[in-house]
Amino acid sequence: MTEEPTSKRRRRLLASIASAGLVGIAGCGGSGTETEGPGGDGTDTPAGGNETIGDPEFSEFRGSGALAEGREEISGTRIRDLPNLEGELTIYLGGGEGGLYRDLINKLEEIYPDFEATPRASGTADAANTLIGEGSATPADVFWSVDAGSLAAVAAEDLTTELSSDVTDPVPDEFHPNSEWVGTAGRARAIPYNTEALDESEVPDDVMALPDSGIAGDMGWAPTYGAFQAFITAMRLTEGEDATRQWLQGMVDAGVTEYANEFFVSNAVADGELQAGFANHYYPLRVQAARPNAPIDLAFTSGDAGALINVAGAAVLSASPQQELAANFVRHLLSAEVQEYFATRAYAYPMIPGVPPVGGLPRIDELNPPEFDLAELSNIGPTVDLMREVGVL
Amino acid sequence: MGAVGEPATDSAGVRQRLRRFLGLDDDGVSTPLVLLSGAIAAAVLSPLVWLLLRASEVPTDEALSLIGSSGDVFANSLALVAVVTTASVLLGVPLAVLTVQTDLPFRRFWTVVIALPLVIPSYVGAFAYISAFGPDGALADALAPFGVQIPEVYGLGGTALVLTLFVYPYVFLTTRAALLSFDETQLEAARTLNVGYLSAFRRVILPQILPAVTAGGLLVALYALSDFGTPSIMQYDVFTRMIYVELNSFGDGRNNATLLSLQLLTVTAVVVALESRIGSGEDSGYGAASSSTAMISLGRLRWPAMLLPVLVSTFTLALPVGILAMWFVRAEALAYEVGGRAFEWGFALNSVYVAALAAAATLTLAIPVAYYSGRSRARFAWLAERATYLGYAMPGVVLALALVFFSSNQLAEWFGPGVARAVYQSLPLLVFAYVVRFLPQAVGASRSSVLGVDPALLGAARVLGEPPRRVFRRVTLPLIAPGVFAGAALVFLTTMKELDTTLILHPTGFTTLVTYIWRVQEGGYYGRAALPALVLVVVSGLSMIPLLVQGRDK
Repeated sequence: MTEEPTSKRRRRLLASIASAGLVGIAGCGGSGTETEGPGGDGTDTPAGGNETIGDPEFSEFRGSGALAEGREEISGTRIRDLPNLEGELTIYLGGGEGGLYRDLINKLEEIYPDFEATPRASGTADAANTLIGEGSATPADVFWSVDAGSLAAVAAEDLTTELSSDVTDPVPDEFHPNSEWVGTAGRARAIPYNTEALDESEVPDDVMALPDSGIAGDMGWAPTYGAFQAFITAMRLTEGEDATRQWLQGMVDAGVTEYANEFFVSNAVADGELQAGFANHYYPLRVQAARPNAPIDLAFTSGDAGALINVAGAAVLSASPQQELAANFVRHLLSAEVQEYFATRAYAYPMIPGVPPVGGLPRIDELNPPEFDLAELSNIGPTVDLMREVGVL
Repeated sequence: MGAVGEPATDSAGVRQRLRRFLGLDDDGVSTPLVLLSGAIAAAVLSPLVWLLLRASEVPTDEALSLIGSSGDVFANSLALVAVVTTASVLLGVPLAVLTVQTDLPFRRFWTVVIALPLVIPSYVGAFAYISAFGPDGALADALAPFGVQIPEVYGLGGTALVLTLFVYPYVFLTTRAALLSFDETQLEAARTLNVGYLSAFRRVILPQILPAVTAGGLLVALYALSDFGTPSIMQYDVFTRMIYVELNSFGDGRNNATLLSLQLLTVTAVVVALESRIGSGEDSGYGAASSSTAMISLGRLRWPAMLLPVLVSTFTLALPVGILAMWFVRAEALAYEVGGRAFEWGFALNSVYVAALAAAATLTLAIPVAYYSGRSRARFAWLAERATYLGYAMPGVVLALALVFFSSNQLAEWFGPGVARAVYQSLPLLVFAYVVRFLPQAVGASRSSVLGVDPALLGAARVLGEPPRRVFRRVTLPLIAPGVFAGAALVFLTTMKELDTTLILHPTGFTTLVTYIWRVQEGGYYGRAALPALVLVVVSGLSMIPLLVQGRDK
């Protein structure tokens, strides 16, 4: 389990020797063809060399446990189809799914001996605020964050590079509203409910109907949680401020209970303390995974803010001298193997159509999310004002 | 002729006033000391410039409405500060007396254990309390069959309780230092006059330890004012929660957060200025080297008295770690893979290393400021000392973002990207951030010791022909050592658990115990925090031994 420090050091040493050689190459190549990089696959990857280096099995990426079993056929760009990762990258992580992102980076480093990535993790807002503070002096090459709002905030400061279509093409347009960043994994807003207390039909299909539905008083939410605020932002932008204020007030009047985060909400639902709650879809799945007999299931509303799908995503920073490598890294995040990794380990919604989600969840095209520009989610200032006005915050 | 003479007297007058302002005529105060103290104060205040820059970008009407809307949180914050400070004094002072002046069994052990709760990060402590006492919590479930109802943990009560349990060591450690320096012959004198202990405590001991108690109380008050984690987890609406919300909303949020931080700092400045009216004024000195001979025999109560530290450590140490262990057992049952979170012992080493560096650096910078402000009643001495407290109340994230801006963006602009790369995300920068945040802990503890040193002793040493520097080294330093070490212990412990600043400014690849705990908790794997939290407590405990023992073996 424990990594021996010696082998790690050796790996670092090897990598730094390798990168010392690479600096020169990057310097030459970077001068002219910056965004063309990924297009030049053929010249970058000598045939044969690529096959031996980057052709991992799906099993190396797939998670274990009941939810990861019986996977359907998977398709999409394979890692072997992509140029090799060679060189050093500094990656700012916003969030990072408790280490899953680091694991993935380690896997890529194992596949590519000449690749070394240094992750730095902090909260999504902290990471974005840090990048904005650093400006063009940032040491980061890639910003990979679990929250679209933080990516949009950094992009709004003109700190990101426009990604080429090679990078963004595999992903549906709604998960990269522009080419400044691209979604890497999705999470849907959901309503976890206690199956002993409620039948799925008792959970309204319309999120706006919840305050008067009779179950609102037995529901829980986590208003300080970023994803919840993103959901209210979506409601504000689709239904208007007045309707949102009324909705919040209605929930408060009905007696909704406040929790510190949505994992607690989901646990409370499973414990029967709540009949239903507001949470990202993967929190109830984690509860299911940890307590297979817990009476908890998921409901989705339709076509409204309650069905918002937010994404984790990645951007290449314009101050990075390694544009090509950084963009290639992002392409790897969208490979079939890595998408399978997100689906089976983080229970995320894959961003490429060839990889289905786990656990009998509706496929991403079966959900009915609102028509919505995810970049707008960074505009949570007025949302916070609204929530404060109603006394939710 | 008069025309020439007048400016001369004028400039002499100005110089005279300046000397008085700087306290240069006070005993033991020299120009280098004044300059050094001033420079230290200026350095720790420098991040404020960023706050002013950012806050000035908030449009006036918006700023006014933001400040206007903070009325309730203002009242809430003050209530929290009052309750936590009072409770901490009521808990910390008796525990200090018990471990220093009585023959309580295993005094050294208890001294360490009682100081330790300071290393429990608030997000660990508060989470533990929520999961123990919260609705459907572990204890609530266990006690329900017996008809025992657990009171509500959310709100002011719960927040104040949890904060008190984890910050009372500030009062304990500063009070303990003062008690160690207390000249026991004074108590004996009181005894020969047939004065009982309680009465002697009130009339002889209390006046002398009061500066230390207030110094500890001030640290508690400012901590309560600036803590992010506990109020947000315990759902109590205070300043920091507002700042947190603003920081998490992009765009204007960052500027709003700095504006609110400035407001928080203003409140801090008022508290700090008010405290100096209570804290100072007691110049009665002592001249004894620290002593640890028990002065009060507890007699038959010797063993029952142990109940107090046992009870306190049950709630401050055993309960949070136990709850985490329970989460850990639950997490083991998780059906999916939990990799990448493998714990490495190197994290503990990193924590100890950086905390020791921070303690040493803070101490080095605290002694001049503490000595200057303890020796001189000049206005500038007061300002320099009080100024160090502002950084302490600056929310960690805000301080970190200020340093991000200065050490990368601004530095690159001024001196080129090479310089910025060398400074930014370096260990010295991180240590500087800790100094800004924790300097007052060391200054407060040391200064109360400096105040306690009888100036007559120093005078005597001078009369015997010792130069000032040697007087400082041979007389003052040994006398103030307990306070200085208490300050070092405080800085060490708080650095061990500091999260916000560490997360943003740590050198890349430098994982500490708390950043590891954050990493697993951020993913919702609370149980995975059990082992590192336990290591944090044990390693801090072991590291404390030399610090606390040194203070008493003189």
